[in-house]
Amino acid sequence: MKPAAPPRSLTTWLLMAGLVLLVAASFATLQLKWAAFFTLEAAATSAEFLSGFAPPEMAPAFLKKTLVATLETLSMSALGTLLAVAGGLALALPAAGRFGRVARAATRGVLNVLRSIPELVWATLLLVAAGLGPFAGTLALAAHTSGVLGRLFADALENAEPLPEQTLRTNGTAAMAAFLYATLPQTLPQMLSYTLYRWENNIRAAAVLGVVGAGGLGQMLKYHLSLFQMQNAATVVIAMLLLVALVDALSFALRRALTH
Amino acid sequence: MLELRSLTKTYGGRAVLNSLSHHFEAGQFVAIMGESGVGKSTLLNLIAGLDAPSAGEIIVDGQSMATLDDDAATRLRRSRMGFIFQAFHVLPHLTLAQNIALPLLLNGLPQQRATEMLDAVGLAGRGGDFPRQLSGGEMQRVAIARALVHRPALVLADEPTGNLDPETADSILDLLRREIKASGASAIMVTHSHAAAARTDKTLVLTGSGLK
Repeated sequence: MKPAAPPRSLTTWLLMAGLVLLVAASFATLQLKWAAFFTLEAAATSAEFLSGFAPPEMAPAFLKKTLVATLETLSMSALGTLLAVAGGLALALPAAGRFGRVARAATRGVLNVLRSIPELVWATLLLVAAGLGPFAGTLALAAHTSGVLGRLFADALENAEPLPEQTLRTNGTAAMAAFLYATLPQTLPQMLSYTLYRWENNIRAAAVLGVVGAGGLGQMLKYHLSLFQMQNAATVVIAMLLLVALVDALSFALRRALTH
Repeated sequence: MLELRSLTKTYGGRAVLNSLSHHFEAGQFVAIMGESGVGKSTLLNLIAGLDAPSAGEIIVDGQSMATLDDDAATRLRRSRMGFIFQAFHVLPHLTLAQNIALPLLLNGLPQQRATEMLDAVGLAGRGGDFPRQLSGGEMQRVAIARALVHRPALVLADEPTGNLDPETADSILDLLRREIKASGASAIMVTHSHAAAARTDKTLVLTGSGLK
């Protein structure tokens, strides 16, 4: 016989009622025009807009320009991720409590700030300092991803089996050497896996960052969309899709090779 | 070789070791027994310089551990001491040969003796294996080889057979005694086992009133 489900407490009912109320209030305040969205007129306008994208621009000169922007986006993501690995590693050591509790709390605070600010906001801020172009985009990716990787690396270091490092210390190994030979090898596959995953994310982010002027495919897309050159925009979107798919596949294969 | 002078260790106002004095003879294999929580492992940590006494002195080779800073204590452990633990503490990502050779590498000594020790502990030809391929008894053999490979003056063993079945424990104790005697090192083994203590030259019992 199936056991009877445990009775729900009053708190659970109140919580569920509160959630339903919040969802209802969201729909009421947003004034969504569902009726207008599903009209024939809306469908016709959308179809007309989308048909403007076909066929994508395939002129060799434009394809070459798109290829250059694609490589720029790829470079931004790769370099941004690489800088973030260096920054993340440097911050992960104090954040893992290796230099005391005060340094741990302070560094974790810095990491929180770095990753709480989205790449797009970092790019907007850094465009002022670094000017328009991929340099600002690269720095924006590096700043946000340093926060993410620093936290993940620190957690990996804290969760590593402490016995090997203690063994080396007991046997008379200096602190840094014990870390390099015992703890780092344990966490390295995990760190590489996190890095590759973040690189995947950064490829997508790099494409979007261009919209605020940080170079690459995003900037090209914004330019052609603002001039209503939909066929050119379609080519850029296809390049974005291909690049993301390529990096996703590459990163997936590498992560699998590292963890199996 | 090793002398404890009025050694005291307190944690939060509670004395774990209270004014402990003893002289350990060079070349002797000594067992330290005692109830759980009486401070046996604390004593080993203090001797190894991994923890500092609250009062008193530890003299190793005529040198007071209190005069050594962290780096000097690390160097002393590296060159003069060998360690064997209950949980083996064999590094999982290194091969058996690399694990055994570790003290040689740290002391800048030739690696050849690692192979000799591998043979001595009955693991000849398995230098390329990884710890995950070993049984508990085999891992403790590796730990014994690693503890003795650099010819330390003092071997500290904390419940070396605590994780092993009685039959394996017997063979490990035979091996430990044989290798310690062959190397001429002094050894202190903390144990709960009377069978293990019976393999040593002398058994001391640690109580609240001292080491007798």
